[in-house]
Amino acid sequence: MTDPNHDESPERAGAERSDLAWAWAGAKGGLSTPGIVLFGSFFGFGAMTHDFGWPLWIATFSTLLVWAAPAQVVLAGALASGAGLAAATLAVSVSGVRLLPMVVSILPVLRSERTTFAGRLFAAHYVAVTAWFEGLRLTPMLPRPARMPFFIGLSNMLTFGSALATAAGHAAAGLLPPALSIGLLALSPLYFLLSLERSSRTLGERLALGFGLVLAPLFTMLTPKFDLLLVGLVGGTAAFAIERVAGRKRAS
Amino acid sequence: MSHAALDPATLLLAVVLAFLANDLWRVLGVLFSARIDEDSGLFAWVRMVATALVAALVAKLLLYPAGELALAPLWLRLAAVSCGVVGYAVARRSLAAGILAGEIALIGGVWALGA
Repeated sequence: MTDPNHDESPERAGAERSDLAWAWAGAKGGLSTPGIVLFGSFFGFGAMTHDFGWPLWIATFSTLLVWAAPAQVVLAGALASGAGLAAATLAVSVSGVRLLPMVVSILPVLRSERTTFAGRLFAAHYVAVTAWFEGLRLTPMLPRPARMPFFIGLSNMLTFGSALATAAGHAAAGLLPPALSIGLLALSPLYFLLSLERSSRTLGERLALGFGLVLAPLFTMLTPKFDLLLVGLVGGTAAFAIERVAGRKRAS
Repeated sequence: MSHAALDPATLLLAVVLAFLANDLWRVLGVLFSARIDEDSGLFAWVRMVATALVAALVAKLLLYPAGELALAPLWLRLAAVSCGVVGYAVARRSLAAGILAGEIALIGGVWALGA
């Protein structure tokens, strides 16, 4: 990162606050309702890993390193249902495809003239559903040089809060009465289901959501090790085809 | 459900592999961000495949839970999710309201059944 004291580029004009002050403002922005919901879902992920026999430190480390709740739950779920490392990694990779369009759409908002390639890679690592959503909501109204430090502060608050929540969920899972620990395990699927609905903007994405839910039981019976991948391919392709046909009908 | 393969070394390797497999898309996003067309057909298809995959994961976690969630009967899990969806819709697509409604239904249900 650039030392702000040695930065004399014209882009700095208009930004009275230092990078650190913007990062701090971003960190405070992370403690909003979406942030709290995210921490709740990582609390649930922590409880889930306890249930699957993961040590606390690996669960917490996975939040800090992987930093994508769907990828982490896909990994835990795949390993628990007996998938090998290769199949689990492949499923994780497919779940991560959604990050590509998120990175593509947020980088032009965050970057300024002094953003280096390494800086863009660093910022991209923090892009995940909530950080992306909140980043796009909060940064466009800031002066351009403030956006990157604000986003880094925001996403670090989300990451470290989520890591703490993972550890707390793991620790709590063994201590809570059964009704509450059962409730914790349902947090991640509920959060994914509702945030998928909220982030789907097109007919095709809503269809893909519905097909994924309906096809899953069918494919789980057929091939429990590759079911996620196959449902993704079959359901996603069917949704895409229907959207194309519907679009063509509307156009003609 | 077999936990035999889950020794810490294997798990750590799995987490590092997951990091590489997942961050691949973030790196590609940086490389393509200047050139890619977000409205292209390929992009739309890729997003839908990923959406269907995560939806399948949701269904699998709720219908065939691998752990303690299985102690709640299937009808209660489905009823709780329905409450969550209704809460989300009634509160004008609020994630917090939906999750709260679903959790209250599930925890209350398990409590009432004495599980």
